[in-house]
Amino acid sequence: MANLLWLQGGACSGNTMSFLNAEEPSACDLVTDFGINVLWHPSLGVELGENLKRLLDAIVSGEVALDIFVFEGTVVNAPAGTGEWNRFCGRPMKDWVADLAKVATFTVAVGDCATWGGIPATAPNPSESEGLQFLKREHGGFLGKEYTSKAGLPVINIPGCPAHPDWITQIVVAVATGRGGDLTLDEFQRPKTFFTSFTQTGCTRNMHFAYKVSATEFGQRKGCLFYDLGCRGPMTHSPCNRILWNRVSSKTRAGMPCLGCTEPEFPFFDLEPGTLFKTQTVMGAPKDMPTGVDKAGYIKLTAAAKAASPAWAEEDLFVV
Amino acid sequence: MVVPALADLTASAETRECAVNDDDGKREEIKALLTGGLKIEAFPRADTHEAVQAIVAQLQAAKGDLKARLAIGGFTLTPIEHDGIEQSCETCMYYKVHRRYCELPELEVPVEPEWSCRLWRI
Repeated sequence: MANLLWLQGGACSGNTMSFLNAEEPSACDLVTDFGINVLWHPSLGVELGENLKRLLDAIVSGEVALDIFVFEGTVVNAPAGTGEWNRFCGRPMKDWVADLAKVATFTVAVGDCATWGGIPATAPNPSESEGLQFLKREHGGFLGKEYTSKAGLPVINIPGCPAHPDWITQIVVAVATGRGGDLTLDEFQRPKTFFTSFTQTGCTRNMHFAYKVSATEFGQRKGCLFYDLGCRGPMTHSPCNRILWNRVSSKTRAGMPCLGCTEPEFPFFDLEPGTLFKTQTVMGAPKDMPTGVDKAGYIKLTAAAKAASPAWAEEDLFVV
Repeated sequence: MVVPALADLTASAETRECAVNDDDGKREEIKALLTGGLKIEAFPRADTHEAVQAIVAQLQAAKGDLKARLAIGGFTLTPIEHDGIEQSCETCMYYKVHRRYCELPELEVPVEPEWSCRLWRI
């Protein structure tokens, strides 16, 4: 039996909604098949008020073991570092986070807000938000660079806006079944099993990417979304086109550009008007190149690929 | 799900064919305008995102006016070399190779591969 506690800071509950939609395994499977005891969760917990405070105090004192501490949302420090804008059970949430992280065997940050600060931490960041161990790309965050949970691991970051349901439950199951030590994390503490390949990996528009045929308007079923509509699939680490959403689709498959939500800089360009669904260019070339590609190589490749593109690549293949 | 009748599909194929045939006439018209001394703004090139947005906004205002679109877009019948790169329609991301057509929604004009405009992007 592994005790799990889930708390929310500066959050929209999107990751909770995602978690409750998990299928492989489902949230119920965690309890019935994998021996996870959900001590409390904002949407599932039955304790309220003083009863919940007593539970949290018991966890902090060590009377109740905390095997997995899941945090969703930012750590809110406003105003002036006090955290008073986000109070929970009689004190600032950030104080609970600090105390609970000390006694947790594993600490898991779910969603962009908990991992890197996400949208709330976008400039000018009025809520003084930060992630558990990062603020955007900067290592440290609320718990500091040196933090490790009792298992010796740093915060396990499962980013996304929201994180895919199965990324959450599969990592929780790995930890609960004693395989937490097998997890390998990348430089941003994301499990490599999910965050090594790109969103583009498995995208149904890859042939249009290869032949440099662009989608120029939403709703077009032909064309790659990278060249004009701001898609970040070639430089975003996520398995969105391998572990499909609702088992059937993904943003890019549905014609929606990837917003790069599993990367620390999300939302990109501080949400400046005109930046969200438009590929930013410098001297006519994309400002952000596909990972590992330089500008000179990109230009040569693009010119050659476009010249070689077959006629069918410019048409809608997915006819009724 | 709405399934179009076979007749509809045939009609849309015919419409497409007509559009392609119309391209040749339009291309000749553009060529005549450009060789006839139409004043165009080939510079400054759209080097930044802000410059692109500004030119696109002007094009949106010009709507169906072909001469205005050619002028604002800065069309030339030969490639412009800028920052060491030859900016021809042929390599532009909006260019449809087989139809020889610029698919930028604000332009939507038939072109030739060696033509150029200041919204070129790769």
